[in-house]
Amino acid sequence: MTCRSIEPLLKRLGLAALLALAATACAGADKPEFTAAELSRIAAHGPWPLPWMADPGNRVSGNASAIRLGYALFFEPRLSANRRVACASCHDPARGFQDGRTVARGLVTGTRNTPGLLNVRHQRWFGWDGGHDNLWSASLRPILDPREMGGKASRVARVLRSKSTLDCHYAGAFGKRPDAGDPELLVNVAKAIAAWQETRGSPATPFDEFRDALQRGDAQTAAAYPAAAQRGLRIFVGRGQCATCHAGPLFSNGEFGDIGMPFFIKPNGVDPGRQGGIKRLLANPYNLLGAYNDDATRNNATGTKFLRPEHRNFGEFKVPSLRNLTLTAPYMHNGSLATLREVVRHYSELDEDRLHADGERILKPLHLSEEESSDLVAFLESLSPAAPLPAPVVPPIVAACR
Amino acid sequence: MVGWRWRALRTYISASRAGNGDCWRGVLAASILGLSAAVHAACPPDAADGTVVRKGDLLLAYRLASGAGRLPMAQHFALEVQLCDKDGVSAARLHKADATMPEHRHGMNYRPAITPLSGGRFRVEGMMLHMAGHWQLSFEVLAGKENLRLSHDVQVD
Ligand code: HEC
Ligand code: HEC
Repeated sequence: MTCRSIEPLLKRLGLAALLALAATACAGADKPEFTAAELSRIAAHGPWPLPWMADPGNRVSGNASAIRLGYALFFEPRLSANRRVACASCHDPARGFQDGRTVARGLVTGTRNTPGLLNVRHQRWFGWDGGHDNLWSASLRPILDPREMGGKASRVARVLRSKSTLDCHYAGAFGKRPDAGDPELLVNVAKAIAAWQETRGSPATPFDEFRDALQRGDAQTAAAYPAAAQRGLRIFVGRGQCATCHAGPLFSNGEFGDIGMPFFIKPNGVDPGRQGGIKRLLANPYNLLGAYNDDATRNNATGTKFLRPEHRNFGEFKVPSLRNLTLTAPYMHNGSLATLREVVRHYSELDEDRLHADGERILKPLHLSEEESSDLVAFLESLSPAAPLPAPVVPPIVAACR
Repeated sequence: MVGWRWRALRTYISASRAGNGDCWRGVLAASILGLSAAVHAACPPDAADGTVVRKGDLLLAYRLASGAGRLPMAQHFALEVQLCDKDGVSAARLHKADATMPEHRHGMNYRPAITPLSGGRFRVEGMMLHMAGHWQLSFEVLAGKENLRLSHDVQVD
C-alpha cells in the first residue's frame, strides 16, 4: 500500500496519531519527480519580484511628492460625498488591499468583488472587465462613481487646500496649486494616487523559494516546500491546464476568460463582463488614446489601439493574478466563492454547459479526488507570503513641504 | 533590409570570433557574406529574415521586429514580413495577418494592422498570442487577382 492510499484510510478511521506517524514516514515519499517539461513550466512563473518600471503614461510615476500625496489621498474619506468613504475603506492594506466582502460597499452596495491592489503596477487592464487601460483612470473612476465615493472636482480641490502638506505636495508634483477650475485637477489627483499604488508589491513566497531553488539545483531548499504543494503544482501546470491562463510570474496572462461563473445580478440584471468593459474603455476620455496619456510616443496604447471586440467577450472576466490569495477571499468577480477549496471544487466539477458554445475548451471538469483537491489548495496557498505583510511604510514628506 | 543583413553579419562575425578567435576567418566570412548580400538583397529570404513559408512561387518570411528569437506569450509584438517570388522581390501585397488556436477555436483579442514598407516588406503591429499552446499564424496576400493564404504553426510557451 502506498503512502497516498493509506492516508485517507487512516483519516476515515479517525486515527489521528497514526496519521501523524504516517505523515512523517511518508514525508518525501510522495514528492513528484518533475519532468524537464514541467520544470520549464515551473520556471516560467518566476523570477519574483518583477522589476519595477515607471509608468510612461503617468508623468508623476516615481515622483516623491506625488507618492506622498497619493498615499494621503488613498486614506482620505473627505473626497467622498458623505465624507466617510476612502479608497482604503474597500482596499484595506491589511488584506492585500481588499475588503473581505462578497461585493463592494461604498455609498451603496455594488455588484462586483473588490480586487486586491498588490502588484497593480504590472496589470495591463484594470477592473474585472478591463474597463480601464491605465492605473490612473482606474483610480479616478471610484472618486466620481456615485455608487462608490460620489466625489467631484470642487470637493477634491477643497480637500487639497485644507492641509498645507496636501497643497504643497500637489504643487511639488504638478508645478501649480490645486484649482477646482483646472480641467486637469482630477486626473492629476488620480495620477498621484496611482503613483502611490504603484509602489505596493508583494514579497517572495514559499513557491518562489521553491522555484528559485529548482533553478539553482538546490535540492535541500527545494525539499522544504511541502509535498502537498508540490503535487498541487504538478496538477496546476499539467492536467489542470491552469497555467494556460494563470501564466507567468503574476499567474495571469493579463487577458480575459470565461470559466462558467454565473453573470446574473440580482434582481434581474446581467454583468456583460469584458464586452461592457471594452465599451466603457473606448468611451473614456482618460484612456491611453486620449489627451491625458503622458507618453507622447503612444507606445503604451498598443493594447487599446488594436482591440478586437468579439461576441465571446460577453461574460468574460479578467484572469486574476493568483498571488496573495490567502489575503483576498472571497473570490471571483462577484465574490461568490468563499474559499480556495470552493474555487478548486468549481474547476473540478465544472458545468460545461455554462461555458460559451464555442467556449475555451481548455477547461474540462477535472474530477479531482479529495487529496488532489487539498494538494491544489496547498499549492494556491503557497503563492502568498508565509508571514503577514507589515503595514505599508508611510512615504516621507518631501523636504520642501516640511 | 540593410539592418537585417548587418545584424546577420554581426552575428556571423561574433560567432566566428567566439569559435577560435581567428580574426582573419571572421573578416573573410564577413566579406563573402557582404558580397552575397549585395548580390541578391532581400530575396530569396535567408535565416536572418526569420521563418520562411512557401505557397507556389510565393515566399513569405516573417520575423519579430524587435529582433528577438521566439514569439512571446501574452505580450504584444510586431512582425516584419518580406514577400519574394522566383524573380526576386514580390509585387504582391500582404493585406491580412492573424492568428488562431485551432484546438480551442478562438483567435486573438487584437486585430493587427499592416503598414507596407519598401521592397516587398510589411510591418504587422498589434499581435498578441495570449495563451500558451498551439497557434496558427495566417497571412493573406493579394498577388495580382489571386488571394493567397499562407499559414504557419507555432508552439508558444
Ligand atoms: C466601494 C468600494 C471601493 C472604493 C471606495 C474604491 N474601490 Fe477600487 N475597486 C472596487 C471594486 C469593486 C473594483 C472592481 C471594479 C470593476 O471591476 O469594474 C475596484 C477596482 C479598482 C482598481 C482596479 C484593480 C485591478 O487590478 O483591476 C483600482 C486600481 C482601484 N480600484 C483603485 C481604487 C482607488 C485609488 C480608490 C480611491 C480613489 C478606490 N479604488 C476606491 C471597490 C472600491
Ligand atoms: C480559461 C482560462 C482559465 C483557466 C484555464 C483557469 N482559470 Fe482560474 N480564472 C480565470 C478567470 C477568467 C477567473 C475570473 C473569473 C470570474 O471572476 O468570473 C479565474 C479565477 C480564478 C481564481 C480566483 C482568484 C480571485 O482572486 O478571485 C482562482 C483561485 C483560480 N482561477 C485558480 C485556477 C486554477 C487552480 C485553475 C486550474 C484548475 C484555473 N484557475 C484555470 C481563468 C482561468
